[in-house]
Amino acid sequence: MTWFAWRQFRTPAWITLTGLGVMAVLLLVTGHNLADEWTSSGAAACHGSCDAAVTDFIQQFTSGANERVYQAGLLAVYVVPPLIGIFWGAPLIARELEAGTHRLAWTQSISRTRWISTKLAVVGSATAVTTGLLSWAVTTWSGNVDAADYPRITPAIYGARGIVPIGYALFAFAVGVTMGMLIRRTVPAMAATLAIYIAAVGSMSLWVRAHLVATAHLIVPLDVSRIRSFGIANKGVMEVLGGAEPSNAWVLTNTTITQTGHVFTGPASAQYCANPNQGPRACLDWVGSLGLRQYVTYQPASHFWALQRVETGIFMAVAFLLVGFTLYWARRRLT
Amino acid sequence: MSVPVLQAEGLSKRYGRRAALSDCTLSLPPGRVIGLVGPNGAGKTTLLQIAVGLLAPSSGAMTVLGASPASGPAQLMRVGFVAQDTPTYPGLSIADHLRFGAHTNPRWDHRLADERIAKLGLDPSQKAGKLSSGQRAQLALTLAIAKRPDLLVLDEPVASLDPLARREFLQNLMAFIADHEASVILSSHLVSDLERVCDYLVVLVDSRVRVAGEVEDLLATHHRVTGPRRDRSDAPPGAAVIEESHTDRQSTLIVHSDIPIMDPMVSVEPLTLEDLVLAYMSQAATASLPAMEIIR
Repeated sequence: MTWFAWRQFRTPAWITLTGLGVMAVLLLVTGHNLADEWTSSGAAACHGSCDAAVTDFIQQFTSGANERVYQAGLLAVYVVPPLIGIFWGAPLIARELEAGTHRLAWTQSISRTRWISTKLAVVGSATAVTTGLLSWAVTTWSGNVDAADYPRITPAIYGARGIVPIGYALFAFAVGVTMGMLIRRTVPAMAATLAIYIAAVGSMSLWVRAHLVATAHLIVPLDVSRIRSFGIANKGVMEVLGGAEPSNAWVLTNTTITQTGHVFTGPASAQYCANPNQGPRACLDWVGSLGLRQYVTYQPASHFWALQRVETGIFMAVAFLLVGFTLYWARRRLT
Repeated sequence: MSVPVLQAEGLSKRYGRRAALSDCTLSLPPGRVIGLVGPNGAGKTTLLQIAVGLLAPSSGAMTVLGASPASGPAQLMRVGFVAQDTPTYPGLSIADHLRFGAHTNPRWDHRLADERIAKLGLDPSQKAGKLSSGQRAQLALTLAIAKRPDLLVLDEPVASLDPLARREFLQNLMAFIADHEASVILSSHLVSDLERVCDYLVVLVDSRVRVAGEVEDLLATHHRVTGPRRDRSDAPPGAAVIEESHTDRQSTLIVHSDIPIMDPMVSVEPLTLEDLVLAYMSQAATASLPAMEIIR
């Protein structure tokens, strides 16, 4: 049965292997070039204050073709998991049901459970290996760039680094198989898979991930010379956002608080802030004299792997639950 | 008597409100080639799919070769199945299909499979998707036969074939039956497909068994009786009327009778199997009479 599962999977496996090969060649060739830029900018050899060297490196990086490779890598790691769900997961059972070949397969001398679990094991391991290799290659290639300018803890980068792509892909695959079995038609199952995948991974990034690991926070006196934004609404309600920011971190909230710990909302001083003869400078100076503090919650770069482990675990757990459901349903309810 | 090849007791299958099979009770003897005939929608496919374990009944019970259908690999091994429209994997070659059979069936007969493909003149490297429907049916039959089942179940295997392919398929099936001691259940809505192959016939209409018995006995005990016009209550002694038709002066009855009909007023003719089956089918359409088991 393992042989047959591989035989059915041969064409997609070759296509994927070719894609991975092309990606590997691209990353190897440009990786040399990127390493040269890292060395020539002085960032590789510097100790202590490296800001100038890193800025030089980023300038070289953005002016050449490497930036496009960086973006292509990011994109590839993001799109491969849903593609696996759509093209490997959804047809796995749906195509058999559609073509009627399940009547051939399930009347041979092996149980339905064994037939499905073998297919799941073969294509599921290919899923984990494919996304694992891809994410490892792209994460490694992008390491210096991430460290220099694009913190990998931030949502835009995070999902295409480390081990979460494996969790995403296994989840997408399991959703695809389950939808294919329930909907029984390949194309609608593909659409359902994509919709569920986007909803799940989007919700994770927008609402859930920030709370998976306890957040760090930063409280500093508000520095009015480095203000991020500053506004006065009706009735003197003020909003002041400080510019202090933990480096290499994913900032979750940024508020300005009073000495008693409440969020500062004004009221704006009529003397300094509403006087048309004075510029905004006077108002800002007044804000600076109130003894306000800036309160920032964030996920620091050091939480990267802890977050990755928890998030990957969640998606893999859901994937295994779906597989369990699929095996149960196929044995008891599927006809 | 040995274990029935298939036994059903009050078997029903519903899809929501629609009943595909309702309250079907049936017992089929082993070692026969059994033809299951009935109009479309009689429940033949549902019955056979329950027998091979593809469907689970909504209520009632069925045993196949004395065990619950598809209860495990040992039971799956004993039953070969050729599904309606003979599905195969279009992207895989004939050799791949045979290898699939060999990998998934412990009793797989390599020689039988290879010989059959060679005899059919098929190229093992050809993709199943490029085969004609007749060739595909032959491939599906080969897979089912090389599994060496104790019971071979075929669901309308020739329905989509042209007359030539139909004849070839049935010839191949008969050759297999002659060489191996397997029971066979074969369904069709055409009697002509079955009468050359089957020695036992079951007529299924609206989930009900109308008549079941050895073909030979069926033919020996059913007659067409033609004579002067008479009522059905005035049928020859010992004869049960299956179908009647009348003109002004003459009556034609199709009757079942275990004893010879000795009535000088009427002429008695033998029936063809097709007429017999049609009589039972039309009887079902007009009246619901209890099923008849023909036992000599």
